[in-house]
Amino acid sequence: MRAPALACLLLLLGAAAPGFAQQRDVRIDISSGQGRRIRVHCESLAAAGDKNAHETSVQADEVLAGDLETSAVFTVTRSWASGEQPFDVQAVVGGKWTANGNQIKLSGEVRDFPARRPILVKDYRGAARDWRSIVHQFADDIVLQFTGEPGVAQTRIAFVTQSGREKELCVMDVDGAGLTQLTRDRSIALSPAWSPDGSLVLFTSYRGGHGPQIFVNAAAGGRAYLVSGRPGLNTSASYSPDGRQVVCTLSQDGNPEIYLLDARGGSPRRLTDNRAIDTSPCWSPTGQEIAFTSDRSGNPQVYVMDREGGNVRRLTYEVDYTDSPAWSPKGDRIALVSRTGSGFDIYVCRADGTGARPVVTGKSNENPRWSPDGRHLVFASNRDGDYALYVTDLDDRPPRKLSTGGRTALSPAWSPRPASTRSAFNLNPGQ
Amino acid sequence: MKHAMQSRMGFLVLAICAAALVGGCVKKPPEAPAAPPSAPPQQTAQQPPARPDTTPPVPPAPRLSSSDFEPALFDFDSYTLRQDARQALDHDAKLLRDNPDAQVVIEGHCDERGTAEYNQALGEKRAQAARDYLAAAGISASRFEVVSYGKERPFDPGHDESAWQKNRRAHVVLK
Repeated sequence: MRAPALACLLLLLGAAAPGFAQQRDVRIDISSGQGRRIRVHCESLAAAGDKNAHETSVQADEVLAGDLETSAVFTVTRSWASGEQPFDVQAVVGGKWTANGNQIKLSGEVRDFPARRPILVKDYRGAARDWRSIVHQFADDIVLQFTGEPGVAQTRIAFVTQSGREKELCVMDVDGAGLTQLTRDRSIALSPAWSPDGSLVLFTSYRGGHGPQIFVNAAAGGRAYLVSGRPGLNTSASYSPDGRQVVCTLSQDGNPEIYLLDARGGSPRRLTDNRAIDTSPCWSPTGQEIAFTSDRSGNPQVYVMDREGGNVRRLTYEVDYTDSPAWSPKGDRIALVSRTGSGFDIYVCRADGTGARPVVTGKSNENPRWSPDGRHLVFASNRDGDYALYVTDLDDRPPRKLSTGGRTALSPAWSPRPASTRSAFNLNPGQ
Repeated sequence: MKHAMQSRMGFLVLAICAAALVGGCVKKPPEAPAAPPSAPPQQTAQQPPARPDTTPPVPPAPRLSSSDFEPALFDFDSYTLRQDARQALDHDAKLLRDNPDAQVVIEGHCDERGTAEYNQALGEKRAQAARDYLAAAGISASRFEVVSYGKERPFDPGHDESAWQKNRRAHVVLK
């Protein structure tokens, strides 16, 4: 079962980075966990200027090494860790900072080893306070250089924190920095989903004492705007890949059904028509299909339909009681949860429902969501006690817990990569 | 806080007086011990003795409280009304008939198992099942609003079947 998946992935990676795959014979098997990671050695970035710059530089060293390690592409050794010398590594990562007033520059370098010929030499500039972002850009470029596709160090995670009976919407950098609480409603916020340009977060909230309604909030902060407050359920919303539509669950016609709305929440169009529950819709990356959960066969199962609501078929018969589908960014796989006796395991199958295999098991593991490069899944789990966020690299390594400032965290959503152009969305035109 | 507590206590005392009064009317066994068992039990309720004009002030009519309603409980992953749920809703329908001005929210709830999103839909279906039953019992649909809380507002924070059964419910709350 694994060999075809591996071959398929190698083909994909080869197609993405043909030159590299030939030259370096790098194979990153993300399906079975047996793949090799590229060994790189990080050297301290040379600091420029005063003591503060030096301290920033020391932090930046660890941020960069962390980015490379969590990319799932590299195994990292560190020059500042005692006894770690470059040994049997493919490349050495280093560079230096220079400061000019509030502006800083990182001259990043990646060299092969032991010849130390340059592989990547690039300057990154920005405001001194944005040094983390500069380091993340360098890390993503290093992943790009070695795999043909940039990393995800510049992405963010939206999620909800729970305190007592209240749940609030938060966002943070994927490495846990910059945690920002977007709502202070003392209500229940649920099910965040990013806009395709990463500027907005759709979510469900019981704020205002109504039932569940769909709101949107700028990821950078500010107030929430109502998207759908129709009678009954308004929930499980996500933007289409082109950002023009929202798919969601409404019960305005008497039953939880899946609807398409325009991006502002108008012009509802019903896609499902069934006496059973239909919910948790998720787009394919092309926007042509929608996976969703329905109990039309008696208990929850994931189904797939086209974007007009036709051609409905059950996704997989290889696992039972499935829910919470998430379509991979390349369209080739679907992650979902399957109920065990007491909790949920996370499975990944091909988009046609075959090849289902468990990737995270034990206790309850919920709401898997893909990273934009398809190398990782973020999910919520109570595997160590209270619910917290974890990332799996889809291999045999144990999931990595994300720092959420000690808060109970659920319902994660992984942002797209930062948009090169500014948002086409405008929350509040002319008001 | 203290004030709220006092007024709540005051209300409680009133409610107890009222309940005692009404309970005395409704539940007092028929005085004729020979009443046939097949006699509709409402007969006694429909013919309450005249209000005893004892000590003034007369307690006000009993005010309906959300806790007077009985929850309809459900099986795991089900929104089918069980026999005990129907009985609970029969009780609730009577309360609503007796209090024609009461506007209510029917809340749907789930146990903690399952995803937040699925449970929201499941809670909605449970609340709808209760609403439909009450509507079939003659309660005007205009008096209902349905809100699903999914698994977000458990009544029992426990993690065993005893807690889960309490949390799988639809229940009526006064607006």
